[in-house]
Amino acid sequence: MDWVFLSELAINGALTGLLYSLFAIGLVLIYKASSVPNLAQGGLTMVGAYVVLALARDVGLPLWLAIPLAAVVMFGLGFGIERVALRRLAGRPVVMILMLTLGLDIFLRGTTLAIWGGTSRSMELGVSYDPLFLGDIFISRIHLVGAGVALALFVAFMLFFRTRTGIKLRAIADDYMASWSVGISVERGVGLSWALASVVAVAAGVIWGEIQGVDQALSLLLLKGLTVAVLGGLDSILGAVIAGIILGVVENIGADFLDPLVGGGSRELIVAAVLILTVMIRPHGLFGRHDIERV
Amino acid sequence: MQEKVEAQNILSMNSVEVLYDNVILAIKGVSVQVPKGEMIALLGSNGAGKSTTLKAISGLLKAERGRISRGEITFQGTDITEAPAQKRVEMGICHVIEGRRVFEHLTPDENLTAAAPRGMSRSTLNAEKDKIYAYFPRLAERKNSQAGYLSGGEQQMLAIGRALVTQPKLLMLDEPSLGLAPFLVEEIFGILQKINKDEGLSVLLVEQNALAALEIVSQGYLIENGRVVMHGTAEALKSNSDIQEFYLGGGETDFHNVKHYSRRKRWLS
Amino acid sequence: MFYRLSGVHHADYVSDSRIFKVPADRNLTAFIFLIGLAAPFIIPSLYLNSYLLPWLIWTAAALGLNLVTGWAGQLHLGYAAVMAVGAYSAIHAARFGVPWEFALIIGGLTSSVIGSLFAFAALRVKGLYLALTTLAMQFVMDWVLTHSPAISGGSHASLQSPTLALLGQEITTDTGFYYVAFGWCVLVTIFMLNLKRTGLGRALVAVREKDFAAAILGVNSFYYKILAFATSSFIAGVSGALLVATFFFLAAPEQFSVAVSIQVLAMVIVGGLGSIIGSYFGVALILLVPGIVNGLVVTLSDGLGMQIDVETLAHIPNAVYGALIVIILLIEPLGLGKLYGNIRDYLMVWPFDQFKK
Repeated sequence: MDWVFLSELAINGALTGLLYSLFAIGLVLIYKASSVPNLAQGGLTMVGAYVVLALARDVGLPLWLAIPLAAVVMFGLGFGIERVALRRLAGRPVVMILMLTLGLDIFLRGTTLAIWGGTSRSMELGVSYDPLFLGDIFISRIHLVGAGVALALFVAFMLFFRTRTGIKLRAIADDYMASWSVGISVERGVGLSWALASVVAVAAGVIWGEIQGVDQALSLLLLKGLTVAVLGGLDSILGAVIAGIILGVVENIGADFLDPLVGGGSRELIVAAVLILTVMIRPHGLFGRHDIERV
Repeated sequence: MQEKVEAQNILSMNSVEVLYDNVILAIKGVSVQVPKGEMIALLGSNGAGKSTTLKAISGLLKAERGRISRGEITFQGTDITEAPAQKRVEMGICHVIEGRRVFEHLTPDENLTAAAPRGMSRSTLNAEKDKIYAYFPRLAERKNSQAGYLSGGEQQMLAIGRALVTQPKLLMLDEPSLGLAPFLVEEIFGILQKINKDEGLSVLLVEQNALAALEIVSQGYLIENGRVVMHGTAEALKSNSDIQEFYLGGGETDFHNVKHYSRRKRWLS
Repeated sequence: MFYRLSGVHHADYVSDSRIFKVPADRNLTAFIFLIGLAAPFIIPSLYLNSYLLPWLIWTAAALGLNLVTGWAGQLHLGYAAVMAVGAYSAIHAARFGVPWEFALIIGGLTSSVIGSLFAFAALRVKGLYLALTTLAMQFVMDWVLTHSPAISGGSHASLQSPTLALLGQEITTDTGFYYVAFGWCVLVTIFMLNLKRTGLGRALVAVREKDFAAAILGVNSFYYKILAFATSSFIAGVSGALLVATFFFLAAPEQFSVAVSIQVLAMVIVGGLGSIIGSYFGVALILLVPGIVNGLVVTLSDGLGMQIDVETLAHIPNAVYGALIVIILLIEPLGLGKLYGNIRDYLMVWPFDQFKK
């Protein structure tokens, strides 16, 4: 066994995994604040990347200005989505909310492509493609940058959920009615969580856009993001980070073993298998809250 | 004269009708007045419309697809019939909903923080918390454990404490005694009485446990089938023979000789 | 006016469990059935083949999903994979020389077996987690399909369907295909109409509402969940096979991708969970409206002399499709079936309800 090769797989897997976490944090934010599974996060990520590009290319702003501006735009969009769509279905069965977010996802993707077309565009962040060597181990710079962003967001949100606003969001996720009864604005709280998730989508969109190009495929991150979120426990940000690393490593090493056996393309299969196994064995994930069943 | 009455009542509810889903008439013209600084009880059997009355006052009807279709509610002289729930909490109405619904995944301390009104300073919040822990020493002991694992009595205390953080002028409680041991009920009611005395907080209490409730309130309203059917001071209600038979238990003791339905709730139909 | 019945008054269980409680409903259904029979003689074959036929088959498929999601309350995001199993096994059987009648049944049964795997997930989790598991299973099945040339038909990943032949008759005309689809859809509809009158239907509803309460009443929720998945998978399998045999003629994995699973679920939910007539409406809306809107956009832009990008045009139907799902859910979360029901109930007592107020 070649240990250098294996650790290279593991480290790069972990870095890629942190990029999955970057995506999954958006899912977790919304779930943590409203117990709504957001299947539109893929669409949001795509919109985020395209908005950055629109501001940078079509308007001609420098990237360092385009990205924060896009975050502001997406913050507004997130609030808007809650205001127009989610609010009216609050308290409905989960099947309808799932369908709503799926519909939203399809709508966002369709609209984005109708406006900007389906050809893949590049982000051009300006991160060097020169390989970085850690001993004998090859590491991609953009992955490192992305992992850094993911960790920074993780710390920011961990702190955020300890603030008063953060506690209120967690209270909303626990019990809408009780929140109303003590004067917490549930609507504004859920809106805020969508707005924050949309900002996370910009970050994920920029990084993933740099890695694989800005196109339709960005929304396909949903399955991996969902797997990471579920494995971490849907409402745990720490869980999302750790699960991301685990999934990245398992996927990278597993694919290396399996690909020669099945003729390639086993990544999807591994991710789906992890998702199924997690739900079957431990639905609340590594760090998710148990539903407390006592009186 | 009229103005003087208005000034005395912190809350006044005049012939309010509530419709759920635009079809089900849950309460039919209920009028309730809460004098400032007093404790008032709403009594009645299951499904009589007591909880609906409270929700009409706190504005939580909307969450259950209900609305006030007639009548008006004034709080400290302001019409709040159409005000959203959040506004009412800001004005000083807080509703402790039925069933001890604390935020289970938060600690008791975070439960109190969550209820803090917007713009409340950190020092005020801490002072409020200290005051609440002084009223409920049991909560102070367990303030960093998970609220979902507190005992029933502690959860009820937390729910009341959480409501107090909003600095209410009128506290409404929906069946605080539900499912609690009698000595706990006594303890909680004792604390309520103390808060009422110390802070001049007006309390509107909904109870099935009429016996316990009538001990601490000054007046009671009896609600049946969505209507107020009796109203009087606690003493008057306690001595009323109908109330004794239907809500307090007692009266006839020899159950062999009880002729069932010999007496009917005459005020119905 | 249309129903001539001032309410529903039943004096015994037999009348209460009739399929059509209101005579006018029966008449309307009979009328529509006759139109369906006569359609090939009324409607140009282009429309018959490209709109009516897929509508009928997708409706049958949607009814199958409605059985498991609407009646038994189990979320299913892997329905297209189950359809694929039926389609591929039926076509392989037919290519092998098995008569089509049996090939279809083989397709349905294979689907049933594979589809029951989903039920085992449903035994352990429900709601969101079940949706995610079935979604993951769809990915696994997709993967197996695209990675086994033996199933998907070689390097081009497409499988030619042999000519459909039923009861010794080769079916090659548009009219013939239409009648096959029509027959299957009617069959499934009759099954579903009868389902709610049977103990099975009631048990499924009980499992949906509260599975442990149902268990206390002696309803074996384990058994009924598997039965629901197996039955619905059978419908899915045959529908998938017929879709390929009468519409696509070539089976390819992307005809049964995740997007298709989501599409069928959208049809069911937009139509209304547990509503049979709703599924007809839902399929029509999701299948036909995006295309119609696109046509309108083209006409409008031509009329106004505007040039619309080809790529924009290509993606408008998708945007419209997503928007439709969102809009219908916002207007009436219970779907088009509920909207129809409201209108029907209103007309049922019209004009007498006007006097009540």
